[in-house]
Amino acid sequence: MALDYRKCAQEIADNIGGGANVVSAAHCATRLRLVIADNGKVNKEALENVDGVKGMFESNGQLQLIIGTGTVNKVYDEFLSITGASAASKEEVKAAAAAKQPLYIRLLKPIGDVFVPILPAIVASGLMMGLVEALAKIPGLGFGDTDWFAFLDMVANTAFAYLPVIVAISAARVFGGNIFLGAVVGLMMIHSNLTNGWAAADGYGVWYLFGHIKITDSYTLGQINQLGYQGHVIPVMLAVLFMSKLETWLHKHVPEMIDLFVTPLTTVLVTALVTFTIIGPIFSGLETIVLAGAEKLVSNPIGSCIMGALYPCTVVMGLHHMYNVIEAGMLASKGLNTWMPIASAANFAQFGACLAVGIKCKNQKTKAVAIPSSMSAALGITEPAIFGVNMRFMKPFVGGMIGGAVGALVAAFMGIGASAYGVTGIPGYLTINNALLYTIVLAISGGIAFAITTVIWQEDEPKKAAPAPAPTVAAPTNAVISCEAGKIIAPAIGQVISREEIPDATFASGVLGDGVGINPSEGVIFAPYDGTVSSVADSKHAIGITGPGDMEILIHVGVDTVAMNGDGFAPTVAEGDTVKAGQVIMTFDRAKIAKANHPDTVVVLLTNSDDYNTVNCGADV
Amino acid sequence: MKEITFTVTDPLGIHARPAGILVKEAKKFSSKITVFKGDKSCDMRKLLQLMGLAVKQGDTINVQVEGDDEDACAAAIEAFLKENF
Repeated sequence: MALDYRKCAQEIADNIGGGANVVSAAHCATRLRLVIADNGKVNKEALENVDGVKGMFESNGQLQLIIGTGTVNKVYDEFLSITGASAASKEEVKAAAAAKQPLYIRLLKPIGDVFVPILPAIVASGLMMGLVEALAKIPGLGFGDTDWFAFLDMVANTAFAYLPVIVAISAARVFGGNIFLGAVVGLMMIHSNLTNGWAAADGYGVWYLFGHIKITDSYTLGQINQLGYQGHVIPVMLAVLFMSKLETWLHKHVPEMIDLFVTPLTTVLVTALVTFTIIGPIFSGLETIVLAGAEKLVSNPIGSCIMGALYPCTVVMGLHHMYNVIEAGMLASKGLNTWMPIASAANFAQFGACLAVGIKCKNQKTKAVAIPSSMSAALGITEPAIFGVNMRFMKPFVGGMIGGAVGALVAAFMGIGASAYGVTGIPGYLTINNALLYTIVLAISGGIAFAITTVIWQEDEPKKAAPAPAPTVAAPTNAVISCEAGKIIAPAIGQVISREEIPDATFASGVLGDGVGINPSEGVIFAPYDGTVSSVADSKHAIGITGPGDMEILIHVGVDTVAMNGDGFAPTVAEGDTVKAGQVIMTFDRAKIAKANHPDTVVVLLTNSDDYNTVNCGADV
Repeated sequence: MKEITFTVTDPLGIHARPAGILVKEAKKFSSKITVFKGDKSCDMRKLLQLMGLAVKQGDTINVQVEGDDEDACAAAIEAFLKENF
């Protein structure tokens, strides 16, 4: 009996809380893929019993209903007309599913993605800068006047002075823009015709693109402050994000003939305008507000405490460069820089939090980043620790904020201060008026941040360092499929399940050929017979091998694992290779498959089983 | 002989499982169906060869159908490609 598509679609809609509860809908060859707003309204049992729904499961934030080839599209059309949901591509469904992650993760992830690749550069610079500046501040040594200092200072601060360029290139890669255009945007933002951002306090020129139409007292339409973005991170990332989106859009819409010159030209020009007239003013506005707010806050202990907590957030925004102005003002009016201990407390707390991560983590990669980053933070350069470690895991960052707040409060009560500005953390000893009290402040802020981080931060499940070295396990000898052409030895170690039990309707139905599933206990795949590799999927999760008597075997590792794009799969053979039975042809990371929420069942199918008269499948046939 | 030109829009391309369904569709007909991508070609009835073509999103494939039921077959394959890839 033919399926009543409309009835099926109606019943699905009824059991997921109606069209209003559907964020988006798409379908693939066999499944209706839905993203649901409120999963509480989904009646899973009833859904499974809807006539036409062969099965359902949830993965990656999607509710997937198995309906079947040829029918799913018809049910889908009816579903759209019933629910009024708009058709979405699979990409959009995936994006909507990603959107269900907490907001702060979605906002922070790109920052981490941009920063991790550039960490070596800023860790090197951060450490060197801390050491060189500390040496220069040692009284009586006179190092600051030597040519060595001038040279080392230049070497050390290169990565920071040109940070926007490095960030822009990395961001262009992450956001899918052309990295050279990204470099241009980064360079433009610190162009030598602009006043260096660090010297903003000395004044700078302004361009007025549209004359002098004042919007507010301090802002004129089309006003561009001739001020570089040295040391800035967020405005650069926003500019490159905009650039990448614009570039992609233009590539799609500009006719190919003129694409090569129209697209880059338009991309750079529009990005420049948007950056300097919109993104720039917003940030300089923010800077002014932060500066005024910070100056007010530190005038009393409670405010200092709040400042100690917020300080790292202003580092993230790239607003901390303006603080030199406050410090200079304090020295001029009171002769004592009471801002420095607060900044030191905040920075040293980030050091404590980062060190805690470095000590507690088992992942060698994390350790290798966290330890040097924390050293740099102890010397007062916190960017590597904040961007590379603490903010990626978030909890250490919060631990650092709390430590900084307490430390700043103590410092304000004790009333200690510095006789100069420019250094914090350990080099701060060279300028502080009371070394003992300063030690207490650092110990409190760093110690609290360290303790809180150690307690509340847990490393994500330790990933297997590398896919299990293959030869440690012996190849299976049991045949899982046999036909008149020969036997097919199990390509994986583990429990053999029947084809019908494979957790995927298409494989289970047998349309791709007869075979078995193996729930693997080791992440290794062996050649099932002597033969030739006829295909290795680009996404590395499937290998096809042609063997004796023209048997064609497909070994597909996991279900839906094509979505992992090869991450976690390491085939050791290539198309055209000759393989011997029992030879290792792939290793894969079971933990990664589990993390991506896919079953790791190894599907073994004789794809041309129709060509043989008798095909037997089982644990040992 | 009938010929179909088709550009794959599915973001995952013709990977293992959908390729299998395509093979299944091809096996319903007696005509010889050959898939061309660039300078490579294969028989659409052979799953492993088809996967070996590594057809990705944006790739254009050319399908040649030759045999007694080539009209019906070409129409069915074309409809199937449009719907699933």
